[in-house]
Amino acid sequence: MLIMGGASAVAFYMAWSIGSNDVANSMATAVGAKAITFRQAVIIAGVLNFIGAVFVGSHVTDTVRKGIVNVTGIDTHVLLIGFIASLIAAAIWVTLSTWKEMPISTTHSVVGALVGFGLIAGGTSSVIWSKVGYVIASWVLSPIAGCILAFLIFKIIVKTIFAKEHPVKAAKIVGPIIFGFTALLIVSSLFLKTPLSSKCNIDEMTGILIAVIVAVIVVIIGIIVFRKIKEKGKEDYATVEGIFRKLQIGTSCYVAFSHGANDVANAIGPVASIIPLAQGATVGSQVEVPYWLLALGGFGIAVGCMTWGRKVMRTVGNRITSLTNTRGFSVDFGAATTVLVASKLGLPISTSHTVVGAVIGVGLARGLEAVDLSVIKKIIVSWLLTLPIAAGTSIAIFLILRTIVG
Amino acid sequence: MKKKMKKEKNHFRAPVKDTFRRKSPFNQLLEHMEKVRECIDILGDGIVRYYMRDYKNFSEISEKVSKLEHEADLIKGNLRNHLPNTLFMPVDKGKFLWALREQDAILDHAENLAVMLDMRHTKIPKELQPLFIDHAKLVMKTVKAMEDAVSNIRDLVETSFVKRERKQTKEYIYKVHELEYKADKKKYELTKGIYALEKKLDPMDVYHLLKIADWVDDIADHAENVADWLRAMIAK
Repeated sequence: MLIMGGASAVAFYMAWSIGSNDVANSMATAVGAKAITFRQAVIIAGVLNFIGAVFVGSHVTDTVRKGIVNVTGIDTHVLLIGFIASLIAAAIWVTLSTWKEMPISTTHSVVGALVGFGLIAGGTSSVIWSKVGYVIASWVLSPIAGCILAFLIFKIIVKTIFAKEHPVKAAKIVGPIIFGFTALLIVSSLFLKTPLSSKCNIDEMTGILIAVIVAVIVVIIGIIVFRKIKEKGKEDYATVEGIFRKLQIGTSCYVAFSHGANDVANAIGPVASIIPLAQGATVGSQVEVPYWLLALGGFGIAVGCMTWGRKVMRTVGNRITSLTNTRGFSVDFGAATTVLVASKLGLPISTSHTVVGAVIGVGLARGLEAVDLSVIKKIIVSWLLTLPIAAGTSIAIFLILRTIVG
Repeated sequence: MKKKMKKEKNHFRAPVKDTFRRKSPFNQLLEHMEKVRECIDILGDGIVRYYMRDYKNFSEISEKVSKLEHEADLIKGNLRNHLPNTLFMPVDKGKFLWALREQDAILDHAENLAVMLDMRHTKIPKELQPLFIDHAKLVMKTVKAMEDAVSNIRDLVETSFVKRERKQTKEYIYKVHELEYKADKKKYELTKGIYALEKKLDPMDVYHLLKIADWVDDIADHAENVADWLRAMIAK
C-alpha cells in the first residue's frame, strides 16, 4: 500500500510536469495565433487531456509497462524496486532539464530509465530491443511525420483557398471539410480497439461508420455556421483567418486530446506495472490498465496545465504572435494527427518534438516569416543525452534502493 | 549585460518557443519603409517650397530628415543583426537584405540632399522652376510606387506567395520602372536647361543646380533598386 501510494505520488508529479510543460508547449500555437485565450487553453487542455488519457491512453501505457522490459524470469521484488527506480530517475531528469530549459522529452526519459533498469536487473536479454528499436525509430519519424503532414495541409490551404479568386468563399467550404477529417480521426480513434468500444460492443465496421457519420455532420454544421460570412472586398485574407480562428479552437482540442492519449503513459506506465505486482499478480498477466490510474494521470496533467502551465502558455504564446490561424491550424493538425496515430500504434513519442516538426513543416511550405532551425540541433543533443543519463540514474537508484530494502 | 539577459531562464521546457523569431522580419522591413515614407513626404513638400525660393523652416526639415534617417538605421541594424544562418525564411535572405539596404540608401540620399540644400540656398532660375518641380514630383512618385510594391509584401507572405499576389507586386514594380524612366528623362531636360542658361548664371550656381538635379535623381534610382530586389525576391 505504501509502495503504491509513493509510486502514485511520483506518477502524479510526472503527470503534473507533463501538463505544465509539454501540454503548454503544444497548446501555445493556438494561444499565439489568438484562436483562444490562455485561460481557455488551460481549460481545454485540462479537460481534453483527461478524456484522451482515460479513453485512448491504454495503448501506449501497455507499451511502457510491458514492451520495454521483459519481465519473465525476474524476481517480483526486483521488478518492484526497478519500476520505482525508473520512475524516480525519469522524474529527476525531467525536473533537472526543465530547470535548465533543455528541450528533453518525458517520453525519452521514461523509456531510457526503463532500459537502464532492464539492463541492471536482468542483463541485456531483459530489454526487448526490437520494441525499443521501434520506439527510438518513432522518435525520429514522429517529428518528420508532423513536418510532412503540416506541410501538406498548409499547401492544401494555399492551393484551395489563397490561390482562389475568392478566398473567403473557398475557405467557407474547404475549412469545414478539413475539419471534418479531423473529427473522423478523433472519433475513429475513440471507437477502434479501445476499452470503450469493447464495453459498448462496437465492432470495427460500426466504429468507422459512426466516425464517418459524425464527420459528415461536422462538415455540414461547419458549412451552415460559416454560411453567413461575407467577403469584405477583394483579397480579404483577414476573414479567411477569422474562419480558421474558429476551426483552430477545434484543432487545439484535438491536440490536447491526442496529447493525453500519448503522454499519460509516461507518468503512469511504470505504476501500471507495479500495481499487479503489489497485489501479488504477475506482470505478464493480461491485467488491463485500471481506469482509476489513467484518470489519476489525466488529472495530474490537467492540474499541471492549470498551475505552472498557465505561465508557460502565456510566455510562449506571447513569443509566437506572428503565427496566424491558417498556420496554427496546420501545425495543430500535423502534430495532433501524428501523435494520435502513434498513440493508437502504442508508440510513446514526444509531443513537443512533433509540434516543433510541424512548425518547421509550415515554415518549409513558405508559410512562416522566419523559422529558427537551430532548435533541431538542440533537440538532437537532448535525445543523445537523455537516454544514457536516464538509464544511468535509473541504475544508480535501483542499486541504492536494493541495498536499503535488502 | 546583454548576454546575461539572454541567459535569464523561465524554468520550463517549450522548444516550440525557440523556433520563432521575436519580431517578424517582414514587419520590420515595412517599419523601415514607413520611415522612408515619412521622410519623403516631408522632403517632397520642403523641396518644392525650396524651388519656389521659400527657404523658411528648411533647416527644420533637414533636421527632421536626419532624425528619421537615424531611426531607420536602428531598425535596419536590429533586423540585419538578428538573422542567423539557422533562420529559414520564405524568401532568399540575401535578396531580402539587399532590398533593405537599398531602401536604406533612399534615406541616406534624402538626408544628404536635405543637408546640402540647406548649406547653400541656391536660387532656382525662374524659367527652370517648373522643370525642377516636375522632376522632384516624379522622383517622389517613384518612391511612392515603390512603397506600394513593398507594402504588398504583407499579402504575399499571408498567401504564401500565390500567383495572383506576385502578379500584383510585379505590376507595382513595373510602375516604379516607368516613373523612374520618366524622372530620368526629366533630369536630362533639366540639365539641358541649365546648360542653356550657363552664360547668364554664376558658375557656382550652375554647379549646385547640376548637383541638386543629380542628388534628387539618386533617390529614384535607389527606389528602383529596391523594386528590382523585390522582384528577385519573389521570383519563382
